[in-house]
Amino acid sequence: MFGLFDHIRTKLLHMRRREQVSLAALFSNFQQVLELNNRVLTTFASMHDKLGGDYIFDLQYLRSSKQYILETVRELIDAFDAMAPGRYSALYDSFRAIRNKLDSELERRPVLPDIMAVPFESIGHNDMDEAGAKSTRLAMIAEAAAAEIPSGFAVTTSAYRLFMEYNDLGTGIRNAEEGWHGGTMTVQESSGKIRSQILSGTIPPRLRRALNRELEALRRKYGDDPLHLAVRSSAWGEDGALSFAGQYDSFLNVLPEDLHDAYRKVLASAYSPAAMEYRREYDFEPDEVFMAVSVQAMIDARTSGVAYSLSPVSQEINGVEIAAVWGLGSPIVSGTVEGDRFLVSRREGHEVISQSIAHKKAAMRNRSGGSVGMEPVSEALCDISSLSEGEIGLIADTAIRLEQYFKTPQDMEFAFDAAGKLVVLQSRPLRIETEDCSLSSDLSDALKQYPVVLSGEGDVAQQGVGSGPVFVAWEGRNLEDFPVGGVLVAHLSSPQYAAVLSRASGVITDIGSPLGHMATIAREYRVPALLNASRATLVLHEGEVVTLDAEQKTVYQGLVRELRLHDYMCDHMDETYEYRLLRRMLKLTEPLYLIDPQSSDFTPQGCQTLHDIARFIHEKAVEILTEIPYKTSSGDACPGGRLELPVPLDLVVLDIGGGLVADHPSVVPLSGKRKTIRPEQIKSEPLHAFIEGVTLEGVWQSSPVPVDFSSFMSSMTRTFSGDAVTPHRMGQNLAVISDCYLHLSLRLGYHFTLIDSYESEDGARNSVQFRFAGGVTGVTRRSRRARFLSEVLRSFDFSVTLREDLVVARAKGRMAQDISELLRILGILVAYTRQLDVSMVNDAQIQTHCQEFERIASRR
Amino acid sequence: MTTTGKTSILILDDEPIVSKRLQPALEKRGYEVESFYESIKAMARIQERNFDIVVTDLKMEGIDGMQFLAEVKKLSPRTEIIVITGFATMDTAKESMRKGVFDFLAKPFKLGEIQEVIKKAEEHIRAGA
Repeated sequence: MFGLFDHIRTKLLHMRRREQVSLAALFSNFQQVLELNNRVLTTFASMHDKLGGDYIFDLQYLRSSKQYILETVRELIDAFDAMAPGRYSALYDSFRAIRNKLDSELERRPVLPDIMAVPFESIGHNDMDEAGAKSTRLAMIAEAAAAEIPSGFAVTTSAYRLFMEYNDLGTGIRNAEEGWHGGTMTVQESSGKIRSQILSGTIPPRLRRALNRELEALRRKYGDDPLHLAVRSSAWGEDGALSFAGQYDSFLNVLPEDLHDAYRKVLASAYSPAAMEYRREYDFEPDEVFMAVSVQAMIDARTSGVAYSLSPVSQEINGVEIAAVWGLGSPIVSGTVEGDRFLVSRREGHEVISQSIAHKKAAMRNRSGGSVGMEPVSEALCDISSLSEGEIGLIADTAIRLEQYFKTPQDMEFAFDAAGKLVVLQSRPLRIETEDCSLSSDLSDALKQYPVVLSGEGDVAQQGVGSGPVFVAWEGRNLEDFPVGGVLVAHLSSPQYAAVLSRASGVITDIGSPLGHMATIAREYRVPALLNASRATLVLHEGEVVTLDAEQKTVYQGLVRELRLHDYMCDHMDETYEYRLLRRMLKLTEPLYLIDPQSSDFTPQGCQTLHDIARFIHEKAVEILTEIPYKTSSGDACPGGRLELPVPLDLVVLDIGGGLVADHPSVVPLSGKRKTIRPEQIKSEPLHAFIEGVTLEGVWQSSPVPVDFSSFMSSMTRTFSGDAVTPHRMGQNLAVISDCYLHLSLRLGYHFTLIDSYESEDGARNSVQFRFAGGVTGVTRRSRRARFLSEVLRSFDFSVTLREDLVVARAKGRMAQDISELLRILGILVAYTRQLDVSMVNDAQIQTHCQEFERIASRR
Repeated sequence: MTTTGKTSILILDDEPIVSKRLQPALEKRGYEVESFYESIKAMARIQERNFDIVVTDLKMEGIDGMQFLAEVKKLSPRTEIIVITGFATMDTAKESMRKGVFDFLAKPFKLGEIQEVIKKAEEHIRAGA
């Protein structure tokens, strides 16, 4: 009961407040909200575009972008607040929290998620900051099913930070480092002081609980087998241009009860004299040490070793290099023993080019009680190869697959367990140094001998060099046939290619924008991508091997070895501080977490990013407009009226500026009575296109569809539970329009449809959003209809999110005429889908309807 | 042009990322490139040899870009100068045009854009030669 009174009271309060804001002011504020919202979204897109490598940007750019995006979002909140003063004031708190994080990033205090330990299977490719490079790469390998990895978890950089704070080590470290820099201490003395402080530190209770939890989970995976651990450093910068390889410690065969000690020892190795000198030489900030730790279940290795996917020994021989020993691999990694060595062809079949089998007297093995040690190798095994021919081939194949996946040659550590299964223990970029420094400058001469297929056209979405066979994605082609390492060639760039991008070595399209969805995905996977290259599908032929140099917007015929080598040797942009900072800034601003307006976290407090804030505001700003009564107390007539259409779509149009023909003789300003509007009076382009679609002859089903009893019952319960809380949606179908804007909220056949679109001459600003949920039937049929919708929408190159019966589809960065076409399609879809769930009796219906729809949509 | 027949370029920007990204891309196109982060060192270098093209930021610590480009022009009037600078200093950049600067680009810029400007500067040098 109190809830109801509260509801009424709030409604009345809002009515009173709203009356203080005149309609003219409300519309003008709404226009401003739209404008600012657009500006925010294009700024995200433009910042993301900088990740692709085509731009040269510096810290100054990052500082001013931060400033700009914060000011714009702040203005957006202000404009929205003017529409409903004080109603969502908590938005300011969410905004402040995000602003503080951004400031902190730019002051070189990275924002780390507040989590202590993460199992490998929960680490995503964007989590390198918290999980460290080593664990993240292992998790990526497992996710891509590129190889087996050990089970394990990452102890995060946040845990490191907490450990340092909990033990109050900051001052001690600073003093010891200053002592060394000031010359009063040697580096050894300074390092010794710091390390002894770390080694005697207490593991904070929160971290201890997290470690216990993850250990327990690991034990459960292992069942009855005794669990031993490999505890390895996974610090920031370990894999970057400044390779810290070998500077930090790893501990093998650690008993679970000794994990805390091993953890402290790995942390302490961040302050070994070598690591400290390295950091000083490369001008690291003292507080830029972030040590995550990788905890892995120990493999009882029969044979271990290292493989380089591209032999750095010489440029002439292009092979995979493998070194292996019996037992554990650390003696060969540290180079203290001689192992068996193989140089293997990179071509399929992986023929062994040369090999030398070492005399292996001793092997490092796990010892009981949690240690490792060298043990003699039986005479029979001393002089035979530690790898079979099949195993050599498997290693070469895996190394090349990882090179393909990470887009750079790999330095991979591996082991064969007692059962003979290959496990990848680590994979990191292989630094290829060449003695021939002139290679770079001779490259331009070398390139002249390769025929150029395409040059000088297109927009770069992601930099880089990639080669492979061309796969032309002609219409209707099954993308599952896409070969690993292929170069995707398509007419249009479309999010439907997302699924193959992780396997692609390059993407070239005739049409597309670096600000679109596919470009974003190409950047996520760092796939070299040249979009808008106009005649790619004409000049590139299926199966032909080509090399794409996105940086120079050039496609060469054949495999250009020099170019790939050059690319491998260059410092990559993703290894720069500025690139990583931009990525982290985007992580705080760009992801959208608020997808479903009906969900309970769709609140100002639920806004985690600036995009969430913009999204929330857009949704609620429209809601405020839909609440406008048709006649205000001051007697203003609303600019708009009921639209006359040949189909029974009862639609009221509200013009917030420029959406209707002014002073049209048939627009009679009636006070008290609603006006009617005819389609030809509509100036709003997106609404025009929508009407064309929704009224397409023969699509709107006018005869009532018979509803069976269970569907009817399910609609009754749904209507009364879910919908009662949003009363304004129960009523009128409404279109809010301006000359270039359309917001439609429709309730037809028990489902809600929302369309929001902006269409102008500036393609970068254009967007369409379509949202669909609900229906008359039970969840199975509704979700079938949702699947039908998402199939259709994907085929028109929308980016689609599907969650049970909720479908959200988005398209952006398209030309005005494309936006119009999409709205026409959405119009047809609305008419077609009205009561479709009722006929969705089985899965086969989905395909049938897709085909039927395609037939209708191609009609004009 | 230099003895190697290649067009020589000096890049000066106090944010190392600029030349770190620019140098390899230009070398790939066959230019001979030297990079500097400190204007003092770049100043010393131009006393030693001439460059065909100089790419410089305007706002830096120590000797500022304006002073640097004035010195370049004094020592080697035929050197073409391209100014790269943030939006905030665009007014100063326009002012630099009067001091014989060939062109200017606002940061961030695309690789293709600066390559284009460098190509034009090269053509300009050839036409004048």
